Amino acid sequence: MSTLKHKGKGPQAITANGLRNGPVVYLDPNYQWSTSFDDALISEDPDIIEKMRHAGDAAENANLVVGVYFIDVSAETGLPVRYRERFRTNGPSYDPGTPPHDSFVPTFIGG
Amino acid sequence: MYRYDEFDHEFVRARTRQFRGQVERRLKGTLTEDQFKPLRLMNGLYLQLHAYMLRVAIPYGTFNATQMRQLAMIADKYDRGYGHITTRQNIQFNWPELVDVPDILDDLADVEMHAIQTSGNCIRNVTSDPWAGAAADELEDPRATAELLRQWSSLHPEFTYLPRKFKIAVIASQKDRAVLKAHDIGIQIIKNDLDQIGYKIFVGGGLGRTPIIGKELVEFLPRIELLPYLEATMRVYNRYGRRDNKYKARIKILVTEMGIDAFKAEVDDEYSYLSPSDIAVSKDEIARITSYFAPPAFENLASSDADYERARRKNIDFARWAQNNVARHKVDGYAIVNISLKPIDGAPGDITSAQMRVVADLAEKYSFGEIRATHEQNLVLPYVKKSDLFALYMSLQDNALQADNIGLITDIICCPGMDYCALATARSIPVSQAIAERFSDPVRQQTIGEMKIKISGCINACGHHHVGHIGILGLEKAGVESYQIKLGGDGSETAAIGDVTGKGFSQDELIDAIERVVDLYLNNRNDNERFVDTYRRIGMGPFKEVLYDAA
Ligand code: SF4
Repeated sequence: MSTLKHKGKGPQAITANGLRNGPVVYLDPNYQWSTSFDDALISEDPDIIEKMRHAGDAAENANLVVGVYFIDVSAETGLPVRYRERFRTNGPSYDPGTPPHDSFVPTFIGG
Repeated sequence: MYRYDEFDHEFVRARTRQFRGQVERRLKGTLTEDQFKPLRLMNGLYLQLHAYMLRVAIPYGTFNATQMRQLAMIADKYDRGYGHITTRQNIQFNWPELVDVPDILDDLADVEMHAIQTSGNCIRNVTSDPWAGAAADELEDPRATAELLRQWSSLHPEFTYLPRKFKIAVIASQKDRAVLKAHDIGIQIIKNDLDQIGYKIFVGGGLGRTPIIGKELVEFLPRIELLPYLEATMRVYNRYGRRDNKYKARIKILVTEMGIDAFKAEVDDEYSYLSPSDIAVSKDEIARITSYFAPPAFENLASSDADYERARRKNIDFARWAQNNVARHKVDGYAIVNISLKPIDGAPGDITSAQMRVVADLAEKYSFGEIRATHEQNLVLPYVKKSDLFALYMSLQDNALQADNIGLITDIICCPGMDYCALATARSIPVSQAIAERFSDPVRQQTIGEMKIKISGCINACGHHHVGHIGILGLEKAGVESYQIKLGGDGSETAAIGDVTGKGFSQDELIDAIERVVDLYLNNRNDNERFVDTYRRIGMGPFKEVLYDAA
């Protein structure tokens, strides 16, 4: 049973974390998962949103991703509406790790 | 110091094997996330904002050089080269991968460490005075009691499914260096008029969205009655603690709703049905546990050291570091060294793997191999000879560990906030860095004196902002970060919850606002009065004025 619903308004994107390794991922137009929000599939079309929902459920069931949910995206800026989600697209603003988070090249998981 | 017994070895290895199997099943899909989540949390593994996070227990903040080196190895091999000391004296890794976690747990078990009791609705890792065994003012080493509680609570069948998480702290001095009264149960080792050692028990303290200072449950509990009496207390909590609403499930809510007297009556009633002798631990067992914490082989030294005094006179940086970071030891000729993890531009509590190895080496060379983690997100070398202090300081300086700000305005407690935490409503690390930057001048810091700034990135209050002299809470207001200020909080033996000043500030306005508060204090203080004492004397009014009218 799917619990994945979209309750938002306007354009939607789908995000999750990779199950095995944990990175933030977004569903892309090829229904693959990219670590870059720039690749995210963003749509207002109910049919496409329904397909996104299916893809999210399928990826969760295939043990590819964990914690799938829809996010609202602003039609004007093309960025997530909620502050938290905007922030999440970039990784931490302070990062002592080596290599730093923002040096990661976008990668795809599964597909 | 504390060591695992055979029981712990077996148990931790079995737990790790079990978790390895659970991870395999999760990856294959025979366990769903809903089924797996409570299992991973029981092993300290969270899913955070950007990645998984593994929280490793450091029982009562005590660990050794070998363990520190293993943590450094783990940081390099499986994570991104650093770790983060938390306000519960634990260490977190921010970027582990699920597939690696069973190996990490095995590597931890190799050095008698684990991630058990760092999450979930159980009795969490017991915390204590980071100066335990070294503090000049302690009655005895509180870790023996903390360890007794750890053993008692680890696998107790009645406590594996409490209404909510449960935090216990133990201290053995009048000075409180463990925020005792912000714990579900706080235990203070005291002496009564007959010179007997026993326990004063506080109950129902906690921070979070409903901050409450713990209330006295028992004025003096004879030593032998500790476990039976706590067991009775836990039973009352288990029976009456709410389970319908997680925001009302902590014992502090129960104690507040019942009233401390009615709560105590329930506990006493429950206690009267117990057979204490079934629960109390034998004298032999207590002696065995206490022997883990036998003092190291201190040398017989004079209380002062001429070379140390000379170095202080000749090197002004060393003198400042010694004044702020070195504390009085109970043994002549020794000192407690606080290593600040609060460089001006860092994130409070972060330590790189290279620094971990340096601290491990220094602990081995100068402190009988022992290290402590503090709830203020610093480290301690508890047993350093005064004659070694200068050499130790030079090594710290070579490795960017020489920050000389313990207890000062830049020694900020700061939770990970939105930079890492999934629950956050705003960032906290950049705020901490901006404040540290603004007040970086060491002379100004010294002038301001004791000042506890504490920052949380949401109402869960992991950054202890309710008990900060200045507390800062990050919220989200209409899509931007907004920061509420609290004044007059106190996490020490004179514990108090701070008062909210009024409406929040943007990140840009906040630092100026803090500076106005500090300047007002400096203009109004009597002699060397601390900030919090000035606040208590003059009250909120003048501070509100400089915060809101001047702007
Ligand atoms: S206070 Fe909030 S933001 Fe900070 S660590 Fe705790 S839960 Fe996360």
